[in-house]
Amino acid sequence: MSHLDTAAGPAVEDGSAGIADLVERAAKLLPDQAPLQTFVHHNTLHAFEHLPFDEAVVSAARVFGTEPFQSEAAFQGFVDSGRIRPGDIEAVVEAEVSSETPLVPGGPTPGRFHAIRLRHLFEVPRGAALSWLLLETDQRTRFTERLDAQRRVELLAQARRDWTGSAVPEPGARALQAQLLDTLWNRLEKAAPHLRGTGAPSPRRRDQILATTGTDTDELVHPLLIRLSAAFLDQGIAYWPMPERGQGFLHAFRRLYGQPGGPPDRFLRGLDTELRRQETEAWTAERTVAWALRELAVPEPEWGAAIEATLLSLRGWAGMMRQFEHRPDRAPVEAHAARLVDYLAVQLVLDAYAARYAMVGYLGPHATVADLDRLPGPSGEPPARPVLELVYEAFVLAQVMPVDMAVFAEAGHATAWLEAVASCDETERRRLLHLAYERRHRVGVLDALSAHQQIVGGATQVTPPARMQAVFCIDEREESLRRHLEEHFPQAETYGYAGFFGVAMTYRGIDEIRARPLCPVVVTPQHLVVEEPAATRAGRHAVPRRGRGGLSRGFTVGSRTLARGSVITLGLGFAHVVTLVGRCLFPRLFHRWSQRLDHGTGAAPVTRLALERAATATEEHGDGLLRGYSVPEMVGVVSAALRTTGLGRRFSPVVLIVGHGSSSLNNPHESAHDCGATGGGRGGPNARAFAAMANHAGVREGLRDLGTDIPKDTWFVGAYHNTCDDSMTYYDEDLIPERFLSSVEEAKRVMAEACVLAAHERCRRFESAPLDLPLDAALAHVESHTVDLGQPRPEYGHATNAACIVGRRSRTRGLFLDRRAFLVSYDPEGDASGDLLTNLLLAAGPVCAGINLEYYFSYVDPAGYGCGTKLPHNIVGLLGVMDGHASDLRTGLPWQMVEIHEPVRLLLVVEAEPERLTAILDAHAGLNRLVANGWIQLVAWSPVSDAMHVFTRGRFLPYTPEDAVFPMVNRSAQFYAGNRGHLGFAHAMAAFETVLPEGTSPETIFPGTVPSETAELSEAIPSTRVSPEAVPSGTAGNEPASPMAHVQEVP
Amino acid sequence: MSDTVQQFLLLSIVGFPLCAFALMAVFAWQGRRRVERAVSTAVVLAFGLAMASAIALACMMLGGGQRMVTVSVGTWFGTGESEFHLLLVGDRLSLPFAVLTALLSGLIGVFSQRYLHKEPGYLRFYMLLALFGAGVELVALAGALELTFVGWELAGLTSALLIAFFHERRKPVEHGLRAFLTYRACDVGLLAAVVWLHHATGSSTVTGALAGTGVQGDSGWAGFQAPTSTWDAFLIGLPLLWASMGKAAQVPLGGWLPRAMEGPTPSSAVFYGAISVSLGPYLLLRTESVWSGAPAVRIAIVAVGALTAVHATLVGRAQTDIKSTLAYASMTQIGVILAEVGLGLRYLALAHLIAHAALRSAQILRSPSLIHDHHHLEQATGRPLPPTGRYLDRLVPAGTQAWLYRYALERGYFDAWLRDHVVGGLARLVRRAESLDDRWARLLSTGWTPLPHTGARTEPAGLSVAAVTAEGEGRGETTGRGEQES
Repeated sequence: MSHLDTAAGPAVEDGSAGIADLVERAAKLLPDQAPLQTFVHHNTLHAFEHLPFDEAVVSAARVFGTEPFQSEAAFQGFVDSGRIRPGDIEAVVEAEVSSETPLVPGGPTPGRFHAIRLRHLFEVPRGAALSWLLLETDQRTRFTERLDAQRRVELLAQARRDWTGSAVPEPGARALQAQLLDTLWNRLEKAAPHLRGTGAPSPRRRDQILATTGTDTDELVHPLLIRLSAAFLDQGIAYWPMPERGQGFLHAFRRLYGQPGGPPDRFLRGLDTELRRQETEAWTAERTVAWALRELAVPEPEWGAAIEATLLSLRGWAGMMRQFEHRPDRAPVEAHAARLVDYLAVQLVLDAYAARYAMVGYLGPHATVADLDRLPGPSGEPPARPVLELVYEAFVLAQVMPVDMAVFAEAGHATAWLEAVASCDETERRRLLHLAYERRHRVGVLDALSAHQQIVGGATQVTPPARMQAVFCIDEREESLRRHLEEHFPQAETYGYAGFFGVAMTYRGIDEIRARPLCPVVVTPQHLVVEEPAATRAGRHAVPRRGRGGLSRGFTVGSRTLARGSVITLGLGFAHVVTLVGRCLFPRLFHRWSQRLDHGTGAAPVTRLALERAATATEEHGDGLLRGYSVPEMVGVVSAALRTTGLGRRFSPVVLIVGHGSSSLNNPHESAHDCGATGGGRGGPNARAFAAMANHAGVREGLRDLGTDIPKDTWFVGAYHNTCDDSMTYYDEDLIPERFLSSVEEAKRVMAEACVLAAHERCRRFESAPLDLPLDAALAHVESHTVDLGQPRPEYGHATNAACIVGRRSRTRGLFLDRRAFLVSYDPEGDASGDLLTNLLLAAGPVCAGINLEYYFSYVDPAGYGCGTKLPHNIVGLLGVMDGHASDLRTGLPWQMVEIHEPVRLLLVVEAEPERLTAILDAHAGLNRLVANGWIQLVAWSPVSDAMHVFTRGRFLPYTPEDAVFPMVNRSAQFYAGNRGHLGFAHAMAAFETVLPEGTSPETIFPGTVPSETAELSEAIPSTRVSPEAVPSGTAGNEPASPMAHVQEVP
Repeated sequence: MSDTVQQFLLLSIVGFPLCAFALMAVFAWQGRRRVERAVSTAVVLAFGLAMASAIALACMMLGGGQRMVTVSVGTWFGTGESEFHLLLVGDRLSLPFAVLTALLSGLIGVFSQRYLHKEPGYLRFYMLLALFGAGVELVALAGALELTFVGWELAGLTSALLIAFFHERRKPVEHGLRAFLTYRACDVGLLAAVVWLHHATGSSTVTGALAGTGVQGDSGWAGFQAPTSTWDAFLIGLPLLWASMGKAAQVPLGGWLPRAMEGPTPSSAVFYGAISVSLGPYLLLRTESVWSGAPAVRIAIVAVGALTAVHATLVGRAQTDIKSTLAYASMTQIGVILAEVGLGLRYLALAHLIAHAALRSAQILRSPSLIHDHHHLEQATGRPLPPTGRYLDRLVPAGTQAWLYRYALERGYFDAWLRDHVVGGLARLVRRAESLDDRWARLLSTGWTPLPHTGARTEPAGLSVAAVTAEGEGRGETTGRGEQES
């Protein structure tokens, strides 16, 4: 390829100086998703956070070719179903559109125009469809069907007034219509702007070549690039690793494709010599990039844009390269020396060859890419023509809106009308409708909070003294468990605290082969905690399991090879008929049997956390991690939690610390269901560590010095909640002193029962579960979701999350929040300075917003931001998923995870005065950016009065409740029974001392809404709460008197 | 009496899936929405009954010591000298395969009930599943080669449609088309074999195996009447091999198999991992009596199988996504099975076929759990999983290593060869013929200068010749793209 050779001789200055910066700038737009094992929710549009939300989504939609909001059709559905009410639209338009003078004399004001426009959502046909409509139908001569009778009469009157034909005989309605509309159309068409071309050309050569020649060079380059990237980043699927990948992507590529006798692809001709030359001359990646851009004849000022567009063309893979470059610690198995610029160099080199190949095919053997600039555009410049779509839209709207047609005789008015129509284009309409949609949700939450407050504030609702306390993660999935626990056992108190419980550690479990951080992603852990076998029965299980592991590995690998594969197939193939039958027909039973075969029936080995470090010990182990916590450090961790949550005010005999995680089969995105506060890990070990710290005698002594006295008759127990099958695991039970055993047993029992209730509530969302699912079948149902290979919806994860309430639980206790609210316990009384709140908001704000926004975007554009349907997903390199056998790496969430979500921005309600929040925002730019730019909706909820202030355009405005309807039920189950969709909010009385007398039907304190019929469920769950006397007291072995006792039989 | 029962059972193996398909087709035609459960239950029930029939029939035959049951559905047409019978045959080759097909399809039916829940194409999937099952049962049980062809086509068409299941995206459609084109190109072989078999022997229906017509020893199952001359056997055997190469994804036509993994996981598991690719070896097993007279065919079969096995095992080792890895693993084993067929190890081949189908389906169904399983495997072994392929480092010199790796990564370059040299070559040939045509036209109609070749697309085509030029090029393009990688 002599042409290529001459272009960049050694004499030419290599021009690679600015490349690194350009790459760095473009890289910000790439998806920021780590390998799937460590899935952490984050704002998909992180790179746009400096912009206001609605601007950001629109400009991102331009860059990525995605959707900014839900579709207009979807919103139309919400308007029809009443999810968006007329009042919401009015309120939004009033706030968003300045409304002064009428658009045209006698016509609507801009505000009125928008409001009417949003009520008339119709599809404007484009191109050929519009031509057909205008030429072949009577659209231009007949009033549109959206007219109401009054407007019709009005228009006919105008037509009669302006009639220009002969007055005798009296013109018919059809003729009047035809003339009026024809005049209107002609006037509007004359005033319409003319359009030429289709905007700025793409900076990428591939797009220009595609437009001109019809050849898509990406069809040549991408398959190869995907193969290479996957081979380079592979974490252990391929039997053979890529040779020499330790020295970087570009190097490995040059070695593979620089060998003579290269692939026979015609477009790669000459590549091997060129690669050899570059390798001999030791070109850097930057220099190669510059060379390729020159080959592609991209003018130097456009390099940045070209690099950006090139990287975005396969952004999943480019993003993963960047992940490996920046966060090698997140690599599941082995971090290779990945560099984004290496990847870009390879892509551009291939692009250059493909572009030249396409040009040669189009123009002949001597063509170069630069010749493209000398060719005319795709089909010459299109002739300028009026924008008919706009004219049509304005034409229909002029009929609908209260405007006198005669005003359009003046060209200026027609232009003003067209401008108004253009200003309320589809994006603007969707934006306003989105705001109305969010408004309805916001009003619902705030009204429910204040109505609930009126009930709770009353003297009738008394919380009984606590017999147990439980600290959960703030995760909105724990909301239902907490609520059911309190309803079922009103002597329980619950708290919400970020699921790593302040124990930001790197952890290695006894089974794990490598340590991983269990803390929020923004925190760098400084402590290593290791799980060790307890001295008594050390390593009993280690040996046989290892042997089985090796065997299993040998089978997996061997079955794919030639000789071993044949033997294995013939020997074990028939046995797989049993596997198939079991997995397909009896997934739950089969899984249980295979687990038993795999792990035996013996109990898990007894282990301990190596938690404590002598205060003086600071020895380094080379990894910068301290081995365990010193006592003062532990005191700090425990004290912060107790003060923030308000748990330190009083203690019950048992305090459960409950971490959570999720385990499921058939789910590459398994880790996305784990705890966000532990960085996509499982929070059990954190809970266990926290409980151990709080039980530590030295720590308690230290706490006493700080003013928090944990009494002797309080014991902390760490636990782990699997949110997928709603099972609980408890840690270090053998350490519980005898005097606590009965209390712990009771706590475990009520917790198990609450799990059943919570599982039952979750089941209402699964269409696989009948709406009248009996209570005792709920656990089995959720468990079968966990272990079924055929189940693409193991759990719905964070779907439906919409709000976050930071404040005392006493203010939300007994409030049915439909698993939609993150609940952060915060005790404003113990926080005079506001430091605790600052720390809470700095942690919870971005984390909850990240979760919420990722769901927003994956729902709004499942193909562009999410990773589409799960059904054809194919795991590649143990890193991510592709659609089918070779596609871009798909980032974001699968449709099956988000399908029931409501895309609204997080409503963050904080129990604090507006002044305090303003001060916090002013002091912390990162948080302020999220709030001021509207990525979060912030509400200040006064701790003393019930006043609420909504943060709007930089300041807090007082909020007045508008909805006076708030249902009241005994138990949550009565409220959700028989429903699959989103529910409103309700007050559940069972969480308090006072309940309705047995037999009375649920009431509403405000008239107007009676909860839907309570079906059989209200019988399954007694509407009376367990009376305190019926609960077994202190001594173990008492007859369990709870009406839920039967659930214990459910294994 | 028992004959009638047996014949009924035999018919019902094909009949039930076909009825299920027809039932749903009628509903779909009427545009009625059926609830998911009704759809899947109908299909699963059909396959369940088909399997029960097959098992019952097998038991009756075992009990009665029969080796073969046939049922004639009638005669398609006859022309004096040769007749085309629609004949089904149950014997120890077809019944196990029929049971396997019904079992796997039924299981996939149950599995997909959960897997495809709420998927818009739910009904379509089950219709295709039923039709595919019916097609494969037809191939399995056909006692006449024409009937085999009917089932063969049904299976091929439904396979292609299932690959293109997500037809709103471009790639699945392209890959479905690619599989379909490969199938069509190879189906010619089966058609040619039918014609030549008729020509050579006057009949294309099976005869009793025990009659021992041309087959040495006891083949154990029904076979076709063998042609008397080796030449005829060769001429029939070779097209049969060609036909089975396409379905079985053998070298050099196997590029469609990894691409077939575009559909929902369950369909990939059962069709491309298990049943669909098994039809190739099955056809050769069924027609063994025909080609066994020609040693050259035997050698060719073994060669194709062995080459495929070696190629696929090499290529499979560099694949980095789980479904491609499993696709090449399937290809490897099918290659081995083909070699076994060629070597005359027919019972081994049959057992291998069935065992492989079960194993591979199970593996593909489990593929979305790979990350989960990897984690557990690490825990179970207690250390990072050892790297594989180390012996390559030891045994192969560095230069060859890279060459071998690139061969594997590029999937043996077959795709590029097919695209750029076979299909592309054809396109270029057409273009050359066309420019010759151009020159002719210029010669004949003086006064008009033909457009320069490369400008044909930018200039408006004024004459019919130029229009043909543009059209021909367009066609070349499309085929080229259809054959393209990825």
